[in-house]
Amino acid sequence: MNATTIRVLYIDDEENNLHAFKASFRRQYEIYTAISADEGLKILENVSVQVIIADQKMPNTTGVEFFKNIKHTYPDPTRILLTGYTDIEALADAINHGDIYRYITKPWNDLELHNSIKNAYDAYKSKIDLRNKVAELEKTNDELNRFIYSISHELRAPLVSAMGIVNLVKMEGLFHSSGEYWGLIETCSNRLDYYIQKTLQYYKNNKTISENTAVDFKKLVSDLIELYSYTDKDMHFNVNITQNEPFFGDAFRIEVILGNLISNAIKYQKETELNKNVNITIEVQPTQVNIAINDNGMGILNEHLEKIFLQFFKSKINHGSGLGLFIVKEALNKINGKIAVSSNSIEGTTFKITIPNVK
Amino acid sequence: MLSKYKRVMLIDDNEVDLKINSKIITISKLFDEIILCQSGEEALNYLNRNLREEDKLPDFILLDIQMPEMDGFEFLEIFKRLPSPITEKCIVAILSSTLDFGDIKKAEANPHVIRLFKKPLFPKELEEVLAKYL
Repeated sequence: MNATTIRVLYIDDEENNLHAFKASFRRQYEIYTAISADEGLKILENVSVQVIIADQKMPNTTGVEFFKNIKHTYPDPTRILLTGYTDIEALADAINHGDIYRYITKPWNDLELHNSIKNAYDAYKSKIDLRNKVAELEKTNDELNRFIYSISHELRAPLVSAMGIVNLVKMEGLFHSSGEYWGLIETCSNRLDYYIQKTLQYYKNNKTISENTAVDFKKLVSDLIELYSYTDKDMHFNVNITQNEPFFGDAFRIEVILGNLISNAIKYQKETELNKNVNITIEVQPTQVNIAINDNGMGILNEHLEKIFLQFFKSKINHGSGLGLFIVKEALNKINGKIAVSSNSIEGTTFKITIPNVK
Repeated sequence: MLSKYKRVMLIDDNEVDLKINSKIITISKLFDEIILCQSGEEALNYLNRNLREEDKLPDFILLDIQMPEMDGFEFLEIFKRLPSPITEKCIVAILSSTLDFGDIKKAEANPHVIRLFKKPLFPKELEEVLAKYL
């Protein structure tokens, strides 16, 4: 490091000290001196210095007062206070209000002061480096968010157009006109769409800061049932919601959690079951909400129960992505929620969730 | 008159989607006439040009969100300041492939938007909303 580039401002009302300081340090640093706080301020207006040394005992403005005054206008330079005597009160004040890095007693020892200036410069440099790093990270973060946003549109838009064409083919009665090809295109499009949606949910859950708003569970659940049940119209839903008081929570994550669980309950039914049931019970309390989602579907094998919340875990029979329950667990972690599961092949599966009410 | 409703306006920068959605509306016989606009500007020009011609104004507007230059929300900002015959007559719904929570919340919070449809458009969903509002 080239030490000569360090710019130091020294303020002292005794001209002899200013001369002595210059004589000792002018070879190592670029030095600016001022006879009073006002003069010092004028220099700060024109030169960007990295280290400021001020004498405590000066008429009009003391060193600590000067440091206090420039705390907001010149927050970056590192400050060193020089005191002629051990003035405890001034020191306490300096530490509490002046943001002082070091204090040095007069008369100073050249080596000690030299080391202090070097250390002060290092402190200045790390502060600036850290700030640049933070700015850089914020920029990267921002770019990543925009990337996620553009994936959600650019990648999904053409896929959704293809799905629209398949719908048109159905409307025109051409769906079975080419053997099973249209059906295969539909299956592939739906699967790709499912993966895009899950990937986005995962990333958004990781990035988005929790934002708490009022949640109306009756509306949310009926929207989600409408959204996911179009594939299976003979499913019976028992919805039992008790919400007599407002609930505040992270609406995005709660929707992700309930959406994944409800769509699983619908998806993993027994094919032979004539009486397909999904029971949703929600009870809002002042401190939390208790949610139970039960289905009489195929159930989860005992040895799988431990693994279902792991990323990319899939059982052989089911054709899931291995992401749904993993995302549920991740989202619950972010909002301090808890989940428990019980399942067997006769009674089906029950997920029980609690989420804190943060009103 | 064959269809239930008169005129719909589709605003979408994507030509393929304009084609698909106008076809879906034609087949399901929901509207007599479809006005296709490839941008918010084109739509505003059409509305301004036909301010006083009741029989040219759309009853229903299906608006995409992500479009270059003027996006759906910017279109709505200008739309809401148009003379009242238009803002009263034309009901606006959004039709988008967005999964962005911010966009969805913003669309739901906008008093001029009665509904957010997600692409692909299902005629049944559209029919239900039309029955309710038109």
